[in-house]
Amino acid sequence: VRRDARLRTALSAAAFACAALSAAAEPVKLVRPDQYRARVVAPKRGRVLLVNFWATWCDPCREEMPALAAAAKDFPSRDLAVVLVSIDSLKRSPDVAKFLAREKVPFVCWQVKARDAQDFIDAVDKGWSGAVPYTLVYDRKGALAAKLAGPQTRQAFGEAVKKALAGGP
Amino acid sequence: VKKILVLAAALGLAASAAPAADLAIGAPAPDFTLPSARDGAPLSLKELAKGKAVVVMFIATKCPVSNAYNDRMGAIAREYSSKGIQFVGINSNKAESAEEVAAHAQEHRLTFPIAKDPGNKVADLYGATRTPEVFVLSPKGDLLYHGRIDESQDDPKNVRSPDLRNALDAILAGKPVPAPVTKAFGCTIKRV
Repeated sequence: VRRDARLRTALSAAAFACAALSAAAEPVKLVRPDQYRARVVAPKRGRVLLVNFWATWCDPCREEMPALAAAAKDFPSRDLAVVLVSIDSLKRSPDVAKFLAREKVPFVCWQVKARDAQDFIDAVDKGWSGAVPYTLVYDRKGALAAKLAGPQTRQAFGEAVKKALAGGP
Repeated sequence: VKKILVLAAALGLAASAAPAADLAIGAPAPDFTLPSARDGAPLSLKELAKGKAVVVMFIATKCPVSNAYNDRMGAIAREYSSKGIQFVGINSNKAESAEEVAAHAQEHRLTFPIAKDPGNKVADLYGATRTPEVFVLSPKGDLLYHGRIDESQDDPKNVRSPDLRNALDAILAGKPVPAPVTKAFGCTIKRV
């Protein structure tokens, strides 16, 4: 209970600071494997993009959300965009929306629609095993700059973003 | 010497963050001996590899995806054990004790041997990153299949691609495994 309370506090604070990035009210949209680059990555070109793959059933994913929100707060929205991709099965869509609303998660969230998860995993990153949490960092040009496997800290997210910012114009 | 130490430290860090091992199909898989989660008795790959193939399954007690496969794992192990294929489960999660693993196996009728992998050493050797994740080895220890049990993450009734069964059927028939590498979503193995 205490952890949940902390999570809520941290996320509420981050939500306020991330007003520019805030999209908590946006509905979760579906993304197919062949749409990932065009719909999730390409529109954020010009900024560093952090894509966090998560699931409602994944404890470490839920636990790292405050760190992700806090890391996002450390950068201006002209430099960094953060997007979530839920890998929950489609029948869990209501759980995804409920979690995002309850925790006031300040990021746009997509949900995977794939006949076979492997198609999506390979479309995103051939080196990805499919384990979550998993976070990809893209530079301003939309090129993959870093892969963060497993749960991360605010510092680890921040370092990866800094490196991606330093690597491009 | 300092440079080597720094390099070793860097490699060590890299290995703990993301396992470097990426076993190729046909390559020899690392041997291991691990304590049984049930009674601590040694479980060695060499001993297990006496059948027609060995199925090494990285599993978990708390991962909902791994748990969704408990019945399927039990059923496949029962069915294919009778055909001469050996099964071993490995729990590499740092927060799941041997006692917990043994109790979980009993509760879910997982009757195949299950080893506890202290310090996730075998998970690192195999490059296993998620649960459930399966490696099928020949009696010589060569990797024949690496990947998922099937593609249906949470509905056993909806399986269209029974990849592990397909691999085992091919091995028993002396044929090449049709899809030797597959992927699925799963829980990250919690490493030390």
